[in-house]
Amino acid sequence: MIASRVHAIVAAGLENPELLARWKQEPESLRAYGLDPAMFDLDAIWKFAGLSAKVKHNGLRFDLPLTFRFLSLNGLEIEVFGSYASHKARAGIRYAPTAEGRIVELVDFLRDWLDFDKTEHSLLWDLIRHEAALAQLCKRTPSPRRVRVPHIAGDVILHQMTCDPRVLGKLLRQKSFDPSRVQRRVVHLCYWNPGDRGEICILELNELGYHLLSLVDGKRALADFNRLLGGKTRISKKLMDAFGELARVGVICVHPRKSAANK
Amino acid sequence: MKYVTANCGAVAVGLAFGPIVPEFVSAKPGLIDYVEIPFEQLRHSPESGSIQETVPVILHCASMSVAGFVPPGDGILKAIEREAERTKTPWIGEHLAFITAEPIEDDRTQPTSLTYTVCPQMSEETVERVATNMASLQKHFNVPLILENSPQYFDVPGSSLSMVDFVSAVVERCQVGLLLDLTHFLISMLNTKKDPMSEIDRLPLEKVVEVHISGLNVQSGVAWDDHAEPAPPLVFDLFERVMARVRPKAVTLEYNWSPQFPESTLVKHLDRVREIVRN
Repeated sequence: MIASRVHAIVAAGLENPELLARWKQEPESLRAYGLDPAMFDLDAIWKFAGLSAKVKHNGLRFDLPLTFRFLSLNGLEIEVFGSYASHKARAGIRYAPTAEGRIVELVDFLRDWLDFDKTEHSLLWDLIRHEAALAQLCKRTPSPRRVRVPHIAGDVILHQMTCDPRVLGKLLRQKSFDPSRVQRRVVHLCYWNPGDRGEICILELNELGYHLLSLVDGKRALADFNRLLGGKTRISKKLMDAFGELARVGVICVHPRKSAANK
Repeated sequence: MKYVTANCGAVAVGLAFGPIVPEFVSAKPGLIDYVEIPFEQLRHSPESGSIQETVPVILHCASMSVAGFVPPGDGILKAIEREAERTKTPWIGEHLAFITAEPIEDDRTQPTSLTYTVCPQMSEETVERVATNMASLQKHFNVPLILENSPQYFDVPGSSLSMVDFVSAVVERCQVGLLLDLTHFLISMLNTKKDPMSEIDRLPLEKVVEVHISGLNVQSGVAWDDHAEPAPPLVFDLFERVMARVRPKAVTLEYNWSPQFPESTLVKHLDRVREIVRN
């Protein structure tokens, strides 16, 4: 079998894993290149494409160290990155040029690809969103706003998780990791960059607080929230208390901040 | 700038350039003798070359497609030549692999260029091709090119030689020095179900100039190179076996994929390498 032809086929399949899928479906098409399809282990070449894609994403390890550790410990790297390489090839899209862009794209891919019935996949989804939220907020500088309706003080990212990713992170840092030790529960997290403290806070919210915060857009007034939640003319005490709690923590402002007004 | 100096009989111990290396080198001066840096790193991030103000550099390369059928462009070769002269590297380590290949469609004029080197078809035909390529490539450099064994992840169709036989044939045919990557070697042995301890004795170890050590992991039924993981004990066993027979000029730990690679492990493995070298 002519070496240059073999190299050409292997390289083409690695560059575009979609070709590997096509050849797998129609093995005889390889004969058009003068090659015996039985000689090619297309699955193995596909896995190698996964390794290659993984290595291309080494730059993300700065921001996603626990995600990579989780992938490695659970033997998911080749499967995830092989599938990701195929997805990109199918869509005909190159990887984003920046680490920030690559994180966003990887998260988008996983949202559709993961099988949330599998514990490892659910945990991975929690973990990557956790690390991605921290990385994204670190790079943003929220500007103060002056509006008279409830608004976010700084910048937030909200995630509903199936475990507490902070606990998962601690377990991953231990010498041996056992996914069955991760306590599964619904956790509502608010990743908050207050803008003036140089750090990202993680707030665990109750369900009402989480949903209220997801609706705070700097346009709706308290009365609008009341209507949205089925209230009538009088704003309910429950709603006032929830807003009061969020304001007490500092994640929302109900009135313009004095410091912002003075700037 | 610091340069690698000939030190008769001494085995230099170094690290492959990666995210943890600049800080490590500053924090622990004298702990390593050199940093191995890829030409591709210098090309895309020239500022990384400033590490040579602190520690000597050995040049590594993945762009020459030594075992391929598409030669590298003149621009690439000139750039490698410039880096070799600038760094005063004692040799250039290149993969016994291909990274470019002919296009599969006749109407495509551009070759297929990959970002990761691939183990070639291991055949007499490829051995001859490597010999032709090496004769042509070596003319560009004042220092020797040495060749690094690839990890074998799958059977490349048309291969008629085992990894050990292929590497031996290339070394014999080209009279070239060997960059023995022990982890690549172990991966190849695991994936082809061969005994690494007996197979390593069949390699032309007297030709080993440099040794690479890194981690590996097994996923989806295959052993993979993993520079984010520490080398397993078996890699150190192989290293001891090699050191019992030969004295390479340099040993490089390749822990260059992860910024979180534990410093304590790095120090421990450097100590382990030095201990084996001493004994």
